[in-house]
Amino acid sequence: MSDARIEGYARALFEIARAEGTLDEVEDELFRFARSYESSDALRNALTDEMVPADRRQGIVESLLGDRATATTVQLISMVVGSGRGRDLPEIIDSLVARASHSKDLEVAEARSAVALTDDQKTRLAAALANATGQQVNLKVVVDPSVIGGIVATVGDTVIDGTVRTRLDQLKSRL
Amino acid sequence: MNIYGVIAAGNIDPSESVHPLWPPAAELIYGGIASLIIFSLLWKFAGPAAKKGMADRTARIQADLDAADTALTSARTEAADIRRAAGDIEAERARLLADADAQAADIIADGRARIDAEVADLEARAAADAASMGDRLGDELRAEIAGLSAEVTQRLLAETLDESAQQQMIEDFIQKVGSSS
Repeated sequence: MSDARIEGYARALFEIARAEGTLDEVEDELFRFARSYESSDALRNALTDEMVPADRRQGIVESLLGDRATATTVQLISMVVGSGRGRDLPEIIDSLVARASHSKDLEVAEARSAVALTDDQKTRLAAALANATGQQVNLKVVVDPSVIGGIVATVGDTVIDGTVRTRLDQLKSRL
Repeated sequence: MNIYGVIAAGNIDPSESVHPLWPPAAELIYGGIASLIIFSLLWKFAGPAAKKGMADRTARIQADLDAADTALTSARTEAADIRRAAGDIEAERARLLADADAQAADIIADGRARIDAEVADLEARAAADAASMGDRLGDELRAEIAGLSAEVTQRLLAETLDESAQQQMIEDFIQKVGSSS
């Protein structure tokens, strides 16, 4: 899909969520769904298979999220999948998150950790990243067991890597 | 009829004064004079021609002798040339054989040198290949050991990284990032 079309979808989703008054919650749910979508081949195949009817793909989304996400989030994802743009879902959502962050003068910061962070840790990590980068950040935490331990944070083009995975890779290279 | 015929016929009378063998004096004188005249004429007119003929014959014989001598000399020269040529041919044959031997010796020497060089090159390549293969196997072995070590380390870490260790690393990361600006 072209950048203009992705931006169009992102802007539409952003306006709907803001109109519903659930932008922060919807943005966070969409971000986590996008990361799950990227890491699951089965989910990606199910939502992008053109042979599966649109209402069936939308049914998969509703059964997956159900009551674990707001109705607005489910409806927005279902709308994108039903229109046959499931393949571009991560880009659309990332664009929406960036748009939402910029609307609040924030920079999107993605932190990957092997275990979930507490709210206190999220707050202190956001503050630490703001201190390190000089920008207020909209922190998005992704639980990624592949990092083994520690955190890798990405703010714009800046990557701060403190993961065990990277240290193991460095050790392997030295060996 | 001559005197012998007369005698044989028996018509001569031995009592006659005429000698049967000795002619009369007048006949001798006339005959002698006539003979002198004839010999003088012959000497005068036929002598030069005879002398010239003899001289010519002598000259012709001499010319034949000279020609024979020249032919003999030429034949001897040719024989000498042939003998010399035969000697030259022998020398040329010897020289050609010597050249062929020398070329054969050079070719054999070159061939041996080339074979020696090729053998040395093959040995060097074989040694280099063996060394390279050894290095490659060493590298592969080291890489394999490194991969296995990393894998084992990762498993050990995953097993030993309990919740408190995870939280400690997260706290360390937050503190480290917060202290940098």
